[in-house]
Amino acid sequence: MASPCLIFYSRPMHEMSIALEVGRIIEHRIAADRLADIVSVRLEVGDEAGVECDSLQLSLDVLLASPPFAHTKAEILRVPGDVLRVSQVELRDGSPND
Amino acid sequence: MAVRTIEIRERVMAKNDELASVVRKRLAAHAVAAFNLVSSPGSGKTALLERTLADLGDELQIAIVTGDVQTQNDAERLAQHTDKLVQAVVTGGACHLDARQISAALDRIELENTDLVFIENVGNLVCPASWDLGEHAKIVLFSVTEGEDKPLKYPKMFRESREILMTSALTGEGMDGWYQLLRDAIDR
Repeated sequence: MASPCLIFYSRPMHEMSIALEVGRIIEHRIAADRLADIVSVRLEVGDEAGVECDSLQLSLDVLLASPPFAHTKAEILRVPGDVLRVSQVELRDGSPND
Repeated sequence: MAVRTIEIRERVMAKNDELASVVRKRLAAHAVAAFNLVSSPGSGKTALLERTLADLGDELQIAIVTGDVQTQNDAERLAQHTDKLVQAVVTGGACHLDARQISAALDRIELENTDLVFIENVGNLVCPASWDLGEHAKIVLFSVTEGEDKPLKYPKMFRESREILMTSALTGEGMDGWYQLLRDAIDR
């Protein structure tokens, strides 16, 4: 008879896990000093992706309202299948007079 | 002010899948087979593993990783049946195990002295379907009381699983028809 070993995590629920992974992908792809210039993030979420979109939207809204982001909007596009991916970001480009 | 669109086109699960691939290679390097047991809570994952350890524990070196949101009760139950490592992963809120957690659990398992790894996932038919853990196959457990339409309600889990294992069965009037409805649901 053995004694079980324990690894304890404090991980968020499913949709917040996905939102955090979306944040990691964006931080990986966009330069750190431009993250606050991101206007919107677009995601494609499949009908069979096992994701509750309202919950994911709320999680993304919370995540993207906080530094290093700044009032970034999340747009979720429902698509067929089980795809779950970050498709595009919109970045504020240049000076206010552009 | 101009706005520029940047194409990202990156799957959200890409990082997890990359880690799962590393797990799969580690298991293959030691010729260890790993199975990811998924089901609703209470379908009999722990009971199946207790019976498996009792019946095969002397022939095969079996290591187990259990996942629960809270408590290590299942791991403690299983540890009574084996001298091998039973690794409890308490997710602290998450509704599924991920590849990073399995990789950490494998660090504590002597893979060179292991034939089989069973992963008892968090009881949930939704989220675990989306997370590749590096296992060779998912096996979904299912009991009669869950209803014959479970494969229709949770299609991704049943599609992702290589085997469907019934952990309870009933016989008697009407049950032949019930099993046919279940088969139809699975086929759809």
